[in-house]
Order: sequence, then C-alpha cells, then structure tokens
Amino acid sequence: VGCDRSKNLVDICGEKHFQAFVCDALSVPIRSGSCDACISIAVIHHFSTAERRLATIQELARLLRPGGTALIYVWAMEQEYKNQKSKYLKEKNGSKNEDKEMNTGTAQRPLSDQGPDNSSQDSAWSDQLLKDLKDESHGAKPVADFRLPVHTNRTSFHSQDLLVPWHLKGGTKKKEENVDTVLVLGGSKESQELSPVFHRYYHVFCEGELEAVCRSLDCVRVQKSYYDQGNWCVILEKL
Amino acid sequence: MKLLTHNLLSSHVPGLRPGGGFPLRIELGHPSELPPEPLPNYEADEEFLRRLHHVLLEVEVLEGSLQCPDSGRRFPISRGVPNMLLTEDEA
Repeated sequence: VGCDRSKNLVDICGEKHFQAFVCDALSVPIRSGSCDACISIAVIHHFSTAERRLATIQELARLLRPGGTALIYVWAMEQEYKNQKSKYLKEKNGSKNEDKEMNTGTAQRPLSDQGPDNSSQDSAWSDQLLKDLKDESHGAKPVADFRLPVHTNRTSFHSQDLLVPWHLKGGTKKKEENVDTVLVLGGSKESQELSPVFHRYYHVFCEGELEAVCRSLDCVRVQKSYYDQGNWCVILEKL
Repeated sequence: MKLLTHNLLSSHVPGLRPGGGFPLRIELGHPSELPPEPLPNYEADEEFLRRLHHVLLEVEVLEGSLQCPDSGRRFPISRGVPNMLLTEDEA
C-alpha cells in the first residue's frame, strides 16, 4: 500500500491499479504495529524543522510491528562522497524524461532543467525574496533574517536548507495561484520568456544526521546506515 | 480500494479513544452481498465462500466513503483512492 500528500500523484497510482491513499506523513491513518516493512524514499527531507522530521520517523516506527523494518532515503548535503560524484552531479542537461516530475517518490535526481536558461539563474533568489527585500527597504514590516537560497539544479549544495526549482513543462498539471514565475535577469530575448517555476523546500542531510535522529528514538534500532548515490540511508528495526 | 487495504486503515481524527478509529465503516451506494456475521460451519458453505472470496479478492471500492466509528467523520473514496487528509483545523 502506498501513500502521498499529493492527491494528484496518488490518483495516478490509482489509475495504474495500485493500492494507495492520500495522507500526511505526520499522521498516517494506518493501525499501529500493522506493517512488516515500510519505506520512506525522498520524503523526510521536505519537512522544514528538525521536530517535524523526527515526528515523521516516529510515525513510521509506530506503523511497524516488533521486528518490522523501515528503509529511509533522504538527500545528502554531500553530493560528492569518497571522491565519487553522484549521478545528480554527473548527469548532463537535456535529460530525456520530459514528462516526469521532479522526484517525490524516488531517490533519484530531479530532472535537469533546460540547459541555456539555467545558467543565468546562478544568482537565483526567488521572486518572493526579491519582493521581501523591496519591502524592507521601504520601511515596511521587518523581514526575518532567515533566507532560503534557491538551488541551481545539478550543482552541489551550499546550504542545508534550500529551495529547489522545478519547472512546470506546459502540460497536465494545474497552475497554482502564487507560483513564482522566473524573471531571468539576463538580456536575451530567450530569457524574457516566463515559465512557471515551483520552489520546493529541501533540508539536505549531513553525514550522520539521519542516523542520529533515528538513534534518538527508543523504539527502533539502526540496523544499517549508508550512502547511496547522493542519499543518506538507514534501515531501522522496530524493537 | 481493496478490502485488504481497508483492513490496514484506521481513522486518525485526533482525540479518539485507543482503537476508536478502527474499523472504518465502508459506505457504498448499494448493500453488501455478505451477511453481517459468518454463520457457524461457514467453511462448508460453498455459496458463502464464493461470496467471501469475491469480496476479499475481487471487489474494489471505487466511489464511496469511510466513516470513523467513533467520531463519524467521513473520508471520501474516489476513483478507488481514499483521501485520508485531515483539515488544518482537525490536525
């Protein structure tokens, strides 16, 4: 059985005749101790505070029967590890998978964005941040010091908390109201084109961080802890 | 949603007594083909076994709802997918 926060994504599972339902990872509507195994792939890194990330792992543990196991994959801060670049860094622009969304369900990398547009986003700050900066200078209400940098896809991470852009490729998804459109600050005609960009929050994990969070729970034991293609991974056993 | 999936699901409305969210009551447009309780000696009852097999392994709820036994809160099922999301206020 699978679940996700996005109704649209779960509907796709339904169309393919998989058993799936819509829910929030912080409150999973499954009986305690009823699962032999659970997997959480590329989910927990979307939660914006340490408390919430811990809470998702607690919820995962609740679902397991004693002896049951969980597999957790989260994005690693370290995209180059032991002198090996992850696939995310290695893969060139122009990925063939045009119709796939940026991963919510896989530990693989998000699609590279179109080549030429991307390079001019190097100093990318989201429109909302630019607006906030403007407000600040006009003596409007003070903006919090905390800024989330916008990541440049397929490069290494410079911050643990960041926004990763995802370009809506004109097609099936509904546009959301307050989606940022990217105003590329270049001069070329190409860069004047606006395409809707979603900014997705990520907290990328440092070496040992995921393991430490898991070890803080009494009800599980860390069976295995490893690095896999730009992800930190753990296997937990419910005690 | 198959019955085997339903067996795992529980209402997660906050504030329920332990176990108060299970089992969710399946609401369909039409009555069930099964009796409310299995009859004694049901193993020998071919007709019953056929219906039971059908419900367990062949039936999927496409449209309907799941009702929390304690709170009465309904979770909709559409296109075979239950939406178990709580609202901001509920959570």
